[in-house]
Amino acid sequence: MKTDTFSTFIWLALVGLTITTWRIGETGLAGKGAMLALLVIALIKGQMVANYFMGVRHAYWGWRALVLVYFILVGGLIAAAYLMGVQ
Amino acid sequence: MNLCTLAIQQFEPEPAQPADGALPGDLAIWIFILAEMLAFGVLFVVYAFTRVHNVELFNESQLTLSRTSGAINTLALITSSYCVVRAVSAIRRGASQGCANWLIGALLLGGVFVAIKMMEFHAKFAAGITLSTNTFYMFYLALTFFHFMHVLMGMVILACVILKARRGGYSRHDYVGVETGASFWHMVDLLWIILFPLVYIIH
Repeated sequence: MKTDTFSTFIWLALVGLTITTWRIGETGLAGKGAMLALLVIALIKGQMVANYFMGVRHAYWGWRALVLVYFILVGGLIAAAYLMGVQ
Repeated sequence: MNLCTLAIQQFEPEPAQPADGALPGDLAIWIFILAEMLAFGVLFVVYAFTRVHNVELFNESQLTLSRTSGAINTLALITSSYCVVRAVSAIRRGASQGCANWLIGALLLGGVFVAIKMMEFHAKFAAGITLSTNTFYMFYLALTFFHFMHVLMGMVILACVILKARRGGYSRHDYVGVETGASFWHMVDLLWIILFPLVYIIH
């Protein structure tokens, strides 16, 4: 697949995931399931931007791991805090 | 489109990829990006843990935010990031003018983000909401304003890259400056990808 076509595909996927996030917000979905779904969507979007837009996928694996760890760590701590708020 | 243009496009080489293992752009910008992401990451986590003790206040205050404005701003940043990707792709083929045009598109979408955010800030200030109104608004205003300043900084960087690209200052063999500016702009997008659901949606 040509590079530009692939970038367009990634952009469309990001638009779709953003609309999904907005719809979840508009329908007022709450609770553990909605919170986890929103954080997983943010994780996927973040990985897409980092790997395919920023070009981290071509870099040394340590850089890719660092970005992935950042999203998992920040997302995980946010999820832990929200679960504490539910209890 | 004439036959000559079609023929050129047919034989146009695929953009060159960066050397294996190297990050695109200047390494210094990546150190800056990591520092910024760390700072925002800490703020995101502090926001989440502060909410634990103020769940009702955060949920009630969050309802006053426009999720649609936040979503439109997300789409503006994502699309501007896409324009930046196409700009880098263009300069890797040696197309300076194409690179500048895609970057102008990115800059205009950055302008859309700024305009919507300013309307949002204006509405909040007009309603008498300030940093000291409550803990939620303190985080909302501080986080979004801090990010807003990064958008403005990113737009200045993009404008500088556009000016140089229009003068033919980059080529298919020398485009580190374009990649450096692009990396900073993508970071601005990356941070908003977490900020939007965290502050506007999750409750």
